[in-house]
Amino acid sequence: MSHQEHIDIDYLARVEGETAISIKLGEQPAIELKIFEPPRLFEGFLVGRRYDEVGDIVSRICGICPVSHMTTAILAIEKAMDINVSEQTRILRKIMSISQIVASHLIHLYMLAMPDYYGYGGIMEMLPHFGKEINRLMKMKEVMNDLTTLIGGRALHPVTYMPGGFTRIPPIKDFNAILGKLREIKIEAEMVVEDISGLKLPDFSIDAEYVALDKEGEYAINEGRIVSSSGLDIPVEKYKDYFQEYQVNYAMAKQSVIKGRNSFMVGALARLHIKFNKLQEETRVLAKKIGFKLPNNNPFYNNLAQALEIFDGILCCLRLIESNSFKDEEIKVEVRAGEGGAVTEAPRGLLYHWYKVDRKGVIEKANIVTPTAHNFLNIEKNLKKLVKENIPKKRDEIRLLCEELVRAYDPCFSCSVH
Amino acid sequence: MEKPKIGIFKYSCCAGCEFQLIYFQKNILETLGAVDILYCKMLQSGGIEEEPLDVALIEGTITEAWQAAQLKKIREISKYLIPIGSCAVCGGIPAIKNISQELEVEKRVYQDTSLIHSLKAHPVDHYVKVDGYVKGCPMGERDLTELVISLLLNKRADLLEYCVCVECKLKNNICLLVAYHQPCMGPVTNAGCEALCPSNNRACYGCWGPMKDANAKALAEQFKKMGLSSEDIFRKFTEFGEPTEELKPGQLKS
Repeated sequence: MSHQEHIDIDYLARVEGETAISIKLGEQPAIELKIFEPPRLFEGFLVGRRYDEVGDIVSRICGICPVSHMTTAILAIEKAMDINVSEQTRILRKIMSISQIVASHLIHLYMLAMPDYYGYGGIMEMLPHFGKEINRLMKMKEVMNDLTTLIGGRALHPVTYMPGGFTRIPPIKDFNAILGKLREIKIEAEMVVEDISGLKLPDFSIDAEYVALDKEGEYAINEGRIVSSSGLDIPVEKYKDYFQEYQVNYAMAKQSVIKGRNSFMVGALARLHIKFNKLQEETRVLAKKIGFKLPNNNPFYNNLAQALEIFDGILCCLRLIESNSFKDEEIKVEVRAGEGGAVTEAPRGLLYHWYKVDRKGVIEKANIVTPTAHNFLNIEKNLKKLVKENIPKKRDEIRLLCEELVRAYDPCFSCSVH
Repeated sequence: MEKPKIGIFKYSCCAGCEFQLIYFQKNILETLGAVDILYCKMLQSGGIEEEPLDVALIEGTITEAWQAAQLKKIREISKYLIPIGSCAVCGGIPAIKNISQELEVEKRVYQDTSLIHSLKAHPVDHYVKVDGYVKGCPMGERDLTELVISLLLNKRADLLEYCVCVECKLKNNICLLVAYHQPCMGPVTNAGCEALCPSNNRACYGCWGPMKDANAKALAEQFKKMGLSSEDIFRKFTEFGEPTEELKPGQLKS
């Protein structure tokens, strides 16, 4: 075989975690996403830990979506141990999840993705020219972090969040104070959608099976069925029957497929494909105003989908806080043996946790599949087509396009090698 | 005055401490303006590992040989080197695996372990000399600011070297350990969180890592008197700080 020309990206900047990308050019480009984040072995060392430590431990899988890992793990453990929680707990968890999704999307869009589209290496170079936008990011992010902190005690690695409920419920006046701030940033959120719809996203299209959680009557975040654009519609309990994970020899993260089918896409764009009609009406009107149409098979538009979710998320938090009052509750947990799994929508898409617990409440087995592990194979497939279609272009342009594509997925490689 | 050159390096961790830099957003725009960040892969493209630095901030624990080798090089080219966050300071969550056989842990995760080249998780000071610690999981803002400013002004940093209980008392919390018999790690855990968990009706779980000269043995005995099993006590003392000397007396299974 002749020696193929190749592009090597040694350490992809502006993503969470560590990956290299190897691109072999030619008629049939060959792509390897070489995720070199060192093995972190969470599923290995969770064995032997107590059920009530798991939330705190798994939140340390990710510094950008700790709430998602905590929520999914605790939901799985509650399933395994047959623990019921109140409606109030479910609502507060949803608010926390959304607040983290919005904060995560903001960081991704402004700090990680945007510099590419204006030819900067990072946010520091952008600062003198994009003061208004960066201030918007900071202001909005602060409010969303304040909201996570209000309920969780801390935005990064919350502390009040336990199996069975929250250790402390904030007083009403604190919820009222945050409502004011949320109302203030709603207008900013519209500007976010404007900022992102102003980016010149590359022209590219590729078929994909979009997978998301779906539920009657709400934009599903922490509960629902697993639904895909190609007809999959299963309860969370059936996850293992339909999804398969396997090791590859060039990456520390595993890849996932839907059994007997193929790769798939999760995340904001996938969510909009599955449940656009469950967004708040105002969000749908805004989407129409900026000309966002579905289906949209351009993965670069995951950026715009995230922007719409920022707007929707803020509206949703406002509604949930306005229409509920929260009071102190007792956490009741009985330790018992069992096994159970849960799926939630993390900022980057479907997140799966599964645990087997013994009669003393000690973990016997753990399994975690993260959004980026779900997207792993799909990203490689997208890159292959993208490279093939752009082969006449300069190598530097191809390199940038590939980087932009990977970033559009907002991957978290640290999570993927949990 | 020339702006101080800063590099931020991530090893095995959640990257939360790098994010924490962004979370300290009230000061971030000023901070970014006052220093030159030469290396931070999450924040910007470019940057090489060999460029001389005034301050190297290291997050994460060391779990692969290349990380240790790179860390030693960074030490050589940096005037000051500071571990930030529990993983880098005391091993943190990644070091929980140290209590088991490495291969046993790997086998639970990977079918083919021949591709895995993991070491026991050790903090940064296991490999190189450090110029102070910014504790916390995620790291605390006060100590970070204090340490970086002190180094740059060539003064001695005033770091918190007492336990969570001190902060808890200052907040007038009722003691969860004494009054409610909750297994609180506050007495052996370094301060800096302003007694966050006890202030939220929850026993401290030690995420700031051990306090210097912690009396782990006495606390473990107290837990035993309260009826905790030796396994439960062992778990409490190994969640944040397995490789540290301070917590060893609490890690004895009787």
